[in-house]
Amino acid sequence: MSFMQPSPVKYACSCGILNPINKLFFCRHCPKLRCGFCVCHEIESHFCSNCLENIPSSEARHKKNCCANCFDCPCCQHTLSARATTVPVVRKADESKDGGESGSDAAPSPKPSAMPTTKKMYYLSCLSCRWTTRDVGIPDQGVATGTWPDNECLYQVRFNTLMEYYQSVVLQEKQEKQEFMRRKAPKQHKFPSLTDRTGLTVSLIRRQIGWNDKSIPKTKPINITPAEASAEVEPLSEDIFTQPINLRNVTTVAQRHSQPADQPTAVNNLYPQRRSLWIKRSLRCRHCEHNLIKPEYHPTSIKYRIQLFASYHVPEVVMVRCEQPLQPGQTNAIFLKFTNPTMYDMTISILDAPPADAQVNMDAFMQGCRIKEEAITSSPLLKATGVTLTRQNSTREVTREVRDLANATIVPLDNEFVLSQRDDSKEFDEDVQAPIEEPKFIVWRKGNKVLMRLQFTPAAELQTGDEVTLGFYMQYTYVNTVSNTPDKKEPTTHALYSRLFIQAGEIAQGTAN
Amino acid sequence: MPMENNIKILPKSVVCEESTLRGDITFSAGCVVHPSATIIADAGPIIIGENCIVEEYATIAHRLADGASWDASNILSIGSHNVFEVGCNVEASRIGDRNVFESKCFVGRGVTVSGGCVIGAGIQMRTVQVLPENTIVYGQQALQREAIEKQGSQTLQIDFLRKVLPNYHHLRKPNYDPKKARSVV
Repeated sequence: MSFMQPSPVKYACSCGILNPINKLFFCRHCPKLRCGFCVCHEIESHFCSNCLENIPSSEARHKKNCCANCFDCPCCQHTLSARATTVPVVRKADESKDGGESGSDAAPSPKPSAMPTTKKMYYLSCLSCRWTTRDVGIPDQGVATGTWPDNECLYQVRFNTLMEYYQSVVLQEKQEKQEFMRRKAPKQHKFPSLTDRTGLTVSLIRRQIGWNDKSIPKTKPINITPAEASAEVEPLSEDIFTQPINLRNVTTVAQRHSQPADQPTAVNNLYPQRRSLWIKRSLRCRHCEHNLIKPEYHPTSIKYRIQLFASYHVPEVVMVRCEQPLQPGQTNAIFLKFTNPTMYDMTISILDAPPADAQVNMDAFMQGCRIKEEAITSSPLLKATGVTLTRQNSTREVTREVRDLANATIVPLDNEFVLSQRDDSKEFDEDVQAPIEEPKFIVWRKGNKVLMRLQFTPAAELQTGDEVTLGFYMQYTYVNTVSNTPDKKEPTTHALYSRLFIQAGEIAQGTAN
Repeated sequence: MPMENNIKILPKSVVCEESTLRGDITFSAGCVVHPSATIIADAGPIIIGENCIVEEYATIAHRLADGASWDASNILSIGSHNVFEVGCNVEASRIGDRNVFESKCFVGRGVTVSGGCVIGAGIQMRTVQVLPENTIVYGQQALQREAIEKQGSQTLQIDFLRKVLPNYHHLRKPNYDPKKARSVV
């Protein structure tokens, strides 16, 4: 419904950031809302978005996160596609082979006796800006996935020596640190060996025998020539102020950035760029380290193995309309549609303050998680030392206060209402169920959807054109089907709440009273 | 303004009957005009060169300027081997050879398209300008670049269309043969 435009209904994530429901996740184990900001992002797989080839992460690193076969247009950054031309090739070796420049209008071979055969040649071409590899003089290739030249930049050798140097520096520092640690804290053996007492070390003995030292030779970083700054700058060419610039021969900033190694200034130095790989991400809750999103491994698949989107677990609220034009200080009503996405009935209440008794089962939940952790750390010794084998969180969970945007007061509902379970087959039911006694605020109900009317008053000091934002707490019962403890198998029901903010619209023209 | 349409179709060209043609239009040999293409010659005659393709919903218009009237000497000449792709709208004042007008592009009055140019899909050109040879206009920001060589001709496509279009559409008969006309004179 609100696919392209931003949704007016925002949910407060447990980290305090407001998001529409389609950007939120729901951790069933915590159970809390999570957003992209408060989960761990992990790379699941690398793939090329053009050829959809899966590339292992080690290979991806080796290839500098670029696809081996696909190229981007250096001119407009679209994907290049290989095009075939038939080129006549003259059998005789001594014949000149220059007929292959353009396939269509190649002259017939001079000797009719020499059998002209055709050969397929490939070049890369951009379907958007019609750039071709012929534009910069790259010769056509005999195979479609040809050996296109890797554009080695001028400083490649320098880059490589610098990289080698710093790698060896890192290695040396690591060795020195290890040595230092060994000297500082010598190994405490239970039974001191003879050599320890006599001062005869292994290296001493070896030297006495006449062998060479066994210790690893210290890696010395190879010398590099430091970069030198010079004040001499190439002078501008003579005609810089006299000749008009042809902007077609000058590259754009985007074109220079797409070719960072040499950043050409002229268009005849643009070369096809290897296409960057894409990744599939899996998301993990920082609190309980359970996976929230785990995509299927294969690049062609868009499905998930684990998908805990909030819209599968949390009732969705859609703003339908306001009853009257918004006026400051005037009582108004808003129609909200609630949808239950789960297979269990939900009891929902709308409150203007956080429910006091909610989230009481948090401790019980944490207990459940802890039991699971202890099952992993099976060794009693480890448990005694307080070492847990569970992976440490790389980043702490940051919680922030939810910024209260509301500038309207709502009238909380005096009683709760039930949102029935989702039943796809019910959509097609013809018979209308007998009207049951409904609370006054419920306007309409069908299946797992309820349209309700919520009264509110925008603040009196709002001006014309100001955005009116409602804020309320929605408490809902959630039936958790996963259980952390092995003994409890039946689903447990929790009363959870989320904080919602709804942008009802702007204050209408006209005076309030 | 001519009272009636005067449409000359030279042999070997394929002009579908469902196309909208208005005014004085001459199709040279080997042109292909798809159904529901529109060619309007309000201000003066339009002469279309050899082996042009006018695809569906393409519009080529030679419109009247404000206050002007039909002028038989105000000819819009379109060169050979041009391709007018689906839904393009071309009102250029002169068009050379081997140009490609991609889908949904708009070329306004006062634009002179020389030769070997490509107007990218969806590009709007409204200011008076001259496109030099082999210009390619592409992308959302309508960047221009210069191609090394002219766009290849669409011979294969034209041959295919010449074979396929008569099977499914009524054609306007070629009504003008230059050889015969010469023999008459």
